[in-house]
Amino acid sequence: MIELLSVPSLLTVQDGGREGYRKLGVPVSGFMDDFSAKIANYLVGNPGDAPLLEFLLAGPKIMFNASVVFAVAGDVDVRLNGIPIEPWTSYWAKRGDILEIGTLKSGIYGYIAFAGGIKCEKLLGSCSVYPRAGLGRPLKAGDKLDLGYAILTGREGRFLPPKLRPDYSSGEVEIRVLLGPDLEHFTENGIGTFLESTYTITPESDRMGYRLDGPAVEHSEKGPDIVTSPLVPGSVQVPGNGKPIVMMRDAQTTGGYAKIAAVIAADLPVLAQSRPGTGVRFREVTPEEAREILKRRDKTLEAIREFLDGKLRAYSVRALGKEFLLFAGKA
Amino acid sequence: MELKSLGDSALLISFGEVTDDEVNAIVHAVARAIEEKDFEWLVDVVPAYSSLAVIFDPLKVTFEEVKKAVEPLLGVSAGAFKGRKIEIPVLYGGEYGPDIEFVAEYNGLSVEDVIEIHSGKTYRVHFLGFLPGFAYLSPVDERIAAPRLEKPRLKVPAGSVGIAGRQTGIYPLESPGGWRLIGRTPLRLFDPSREPPTLLQPGDEVKFVPISEEEFVELHQGEWGTEV
Repeated sequence: MIELLSVPSLLTVQDGGREGYRKLGVPVSGFMDDFSAKIANYLVGNPGDAPLLEFLLAGPKIMFNASVVFAVAGDVDVRLNGIPIEPWTSYWAKRGDILEIGTLKSGIYGYIAFAGGIKCEKLLGSCSVYPRAGLGRPLKAGDKLDLGYAILTGREGRFLPPKLRPDYSSGEVEIRVLLGPDLEHFTENGIGTFLESTYTITPESDRMGYRLDGPAVEHSEKGPDIVTSPLVPGSVQVPGNGKPIVMMRDAQTTGGYAKIAAVIAADLPVLAQSRPGTGVRFREVTPEEAREILKRRDKTLEAIREFLDGKLRAYSVRALGKEFLLFAGKA
Repeated sequence: MELKSLGDSALLISFGEVTDDEVNAIVHAVARAIEEKDFEWLVDVVPAYSSLAVIFDPLKVTFEEVKKAVEPLLGVSAGAFKGRKIEIPVLYGGEYGPDIEFVAEYNGLSVEDVIEIHSGKTYRVHFLGFLPGFAYLSPVDERIAAPRLEKPRLKVPAGSVGIAGRQTGIYPLESPGGWRLIGRTPLRLFDPSREPPTLLQPGDEVKFVPISEEEFVELHQGEWGTEV
């Protein structure tokens, strides 16, 4: 069991999300940045989708009431019993140990994984917290959480080298999208504006959606409203004021504003980790490219898992003036 | 009918931009046909008024393959709705329906007329969306249609029954909202500990039944509705 001594910001239990209930209006929820979250789980030997803690900007202070292997994913200072330790690394905590997590230096969501995962009552098939509908609640100081039993899977000393960590420090991000499905609600000019302008993430952004500011996207004579139709995390809605809203993990399941595009699954975590004020440029890709990008990302995640399991070695290679990462089996 | 991509993990099947019962019946028939196929790449099916999304695992299947797989299912006959009949008790007006007088005045009717017209029709649940358990119903009678609030309320209590244009619906959870509130039901519309968690489901037939304040208080135990 762990006990939360202080919780400075939004802290929730999340897992791979809640599928199968969208037809009842229940959002998917789950990790805002599934890339970092999965690596956090791999660091402690869990399956990628195991329930863990997601914090917004600043991490909690935690007391361990049992011995367990844990890891923190994020660009953040971490202390165990007051002594600085590394993020992206698994450690063994003993009963009575205290873990302190600082404020993220880049990115906006951080993850704390525990071997065996957080034990939780699954609601509609998932532990992901969606407070609006009473599906769990954000955590507060004094809360105690049970952990799964994983004496054999937890291993300390797994370490993800900086070169393999996601980098969320850039000042402007390029986010790839597939256009559609409601393109007839936009003028050609409007679509051009959307693809050629730099938008800024506004502070009115949360797990439900990221609101953007920038040049207004022009609607066609059909206007911004559509007959309410399904949407997905990543869908970009453009209401009457022409400012795009990107739907995130807690997005409603249907919406009544025309959708100009959808962010590809591989880039949604990158957007999720971009802070208010960050510049965003959208670039159109084809469905084939989107699938290739996602497959590549899935392969990278799988290689990282095998690397952390000690089955692969990672090499940094310079070729054609660029740096590449290579994974290879152990000799 | 059109098949379009809705991001890299979903296919949108659209039967035009309409809100009528017949097209919605086709949407649900197609949704059922796809679910029954139990494709190994199928993640979720999300029906709306006149469109539905087929959510797939893009690592297992391509967009073109999904298109090919669902195309033969698009011709299924809608047949008759197989929805249940559900009665929703509603306490109309007063503090529970603070906008009922506006709806009456706006349409040149009495409050009693609004109640009679709203509860005099059987509505079809076209789909659930916006919030868990929020039902989009077939349109209300033109005579009681009313525009949305200019400034949405920050907090609409759970169970509130509202009108927006020709739409009517019930807020399953406390949330912000801009619909004109005409009453409130004591029934609980969403309960995550139940399976299924929503009282209403797509295809159900809903009838609003006016109740007194005494009945409202008596029922107000977060009760789950019963099938009739």
